[in-house]
Amino acid sequence: MEGPFAAPPDHPWSRVSPRLASMRRAVLAGVGLPATVVIAYACGLASATAGGIVGAVGLVVLAAGWFSIGRNLKSWGYLERSDDLMVTHGALFQRLVVVPYGRMQLVDVEAGPIERSFGLVTVKLHTAAATTDARVRGLTPSVAEPLRDRLTQRGEAHASGL
Amino acid sequence: MASEGGPPSLGAGGSGGWEPARTGSGPDEETFRLHPLTPLALGGRILGLLVVFTLFSLAGQRADQGGGPNVVALTLYGGLAVLVVVRGLITVAVTRYHLFGGELRIDSGLLAKQSKRVRLDRVQSVDVLQPLSARIFGLAEVKVTTAGTERSAVHLRFLALPVARQLRADLLGRAGGGGEGAPEAPERPVAAVPHGQLVKAVLLEMVSWRLGLVLVGPVLTVVGRRNGHGATTGVGVVIIVWFVFLVVIDVWRRISTLWDFTLTDSPDGLRIRHGLLSTSRQTVPPGRIQAVLIHQPVGWRLFGWAQIRMNVAGYAGGTDARSTMLLPVADREYALALVGWLLGGIDLSTIPLDRPPRRAAARAPLWWRAQLVGSDEHVLVSRHGLLSRTIDIVPHERTQSTRLTAGPWQRVLGLATVHLDSTRGPVKIRAANRDAAAARLLFDLQVDRARRARLGRWSPSAPRPG
Repeated sequence: MEGPFAAPPDHPWSRVSPRLASMRRAVLAGVGLPATVVIAYACGLASATAGGIVGAVGLVVLAAGWFSIGRNLKSWGYLERSDDLMVTHGALFQRLVVVPYGRMQLVDVEAGPIERSFGLVTVKLHTAAATTDARVRGLTPSVAEPLRDRLTQRGEAHASGL
Repeated sequence: MASEGGPPSLGAGGSGGWEPARTGSGPDEETFRLHPLTPLALGGRILGLLVVFTLFSLAGQRADQGGGPNVVALTLYGGLAVLVVVRGLITVAVTRYHLFGGELRIDSGLLAKQSKRVRLDRVQSVDVLQPLSARIFGLAEVKVTTAGTERSAVHLRFLALPVARQLRADLLGRAGGGGEGAPEAPERPVAAVPHGQLVKAVLLEMVSWRLGLVLVGPVLTVVGRRNGHGATTGVGVVIIVWFVFLVVIDVWRRISTLWDFTLTDSPDGLRIRHGLLSTSRQTVPPGRIQAVLIHQPVGWRLFGWAQIRMNVAGYAGGTDARSTMLLPVADREYALALVGWLLGGIDLSTIPLDRPPRRAAARAPLWWRAQLVGSDEHVLVSRHGLLSRTIDIVPHERTQSTRLTAGPWQRVLGLATVHLDSTRGPVKIRAANRDAAAARLLFDLQVDRARRARLGRWSPSAPRPG
């Protein structure tokens, strides 16, 4: 990514695991495809043309989803700087968050059942502000746990209250 | 914060200073219990209702003449009242609070014991609240808000009012490192809201586009009358009555909670006092205000009035709306001066504001002109709103995190929005629809300013939490 959401010069983003895209595509294929088939079949009972159109539209939407999952994967990045953590994500709705280590209240490592089966976790940072919403998805535990420990350590070192 | 200059004077200042109650230097650990009258105050509403029901059924029985007393109903009411009181008595019996060094501990629970600890250096504010049911018995609640995320407030319901005041002074004294048994700090009046102005302000605050909805009822009534359509007329009348009811309730609630609003300054922090039937006395220690806004509803602009609200960590945004009020109504100039003083001597009028680039009109058709943002070395200021107007102010040292966002339409136009995250509360600050490159510059600048402000903060007058 370039432009206003670029990483600072000479500091490339740390990227997340490509398994994040595999996981999302698996969910898309596992849920979206059967749903499309069922709905298209139901419409097809009423009128064959309607069924065909609904099926085609569904497939196009699925293909767009497949493609955008790839774009979204490439948009994820994080950067540990000396005083803060910088996180960016989002291809369509882009965002860039800077969370100072001194403001971190706690660092969570979470993994839902689907994430777990793909060997992924999410690292989530909380500050006193509810709107911070800084999280890094699609990390492998071998990356996430040292990251969490480093963040916690720096949080203690920089702690500046509220 | 309170050390230099002193608050801008408004003339009026109704500080009903209470006598400094002082307890002798007791043992290191103090243990207290709730007041024995607590059950009556805790169950106040239910007990009141039960009394009313009982009176009704007695009166109804007299009117009927014949037939014995309605034993079933009376027994039911009596039983409920006993239950409520017994439940309150159990609460009193099992709740103890200990003040020890820099910690307040509350033990409660009959079967499932629970113990809450509050680190006093984390205290964000201490409030003495008197709901009507407690006020009748001379009781008060002490609410201690700490800097947690949710449900972090500790309520001590109920104590005798003098005890509650003394506890507050103690807590604030310890929070500021003053030690136990501190006398109540002396107060200086800052501002008081005259009753007439409050009533006018509350009424004028209702002036907005929603006022158009008021016409729905009368229009339906008239239309129904004209066409001889009874149902329409009926619906119209019902809407009118319902609307009047809602408005009266709302006006009454606002006026009664904000009645006698006084703001005073003391070494403990800002004291905010208000309430007609139920009263509330908040104390926000120095340096606990995270962000401030100055709001001018459209109906106030002609009079040049404004209100000030604040973000304090631990005060929830929605349900606790009253406690985020810093000054319900004052002259705009005075509000600006007061905010400048609160934030450590800043002159808000010297901060130049600029608007988004013209192409932002494609995303925010009319109001792009009103999305103004400016900053200096201490604060970031944003002003928005075409009719009602709001100025949000966040000091750099209070910024929690910084965000830059852009949606698809914004990216087509080459725009982006910078958000500064503050604790939960009414103040939400952002620089909307800036030129994308300028937004990134502002973003980087704010990150850097916040970092420097964090390093060089804490004047001696502001005790350091955590």
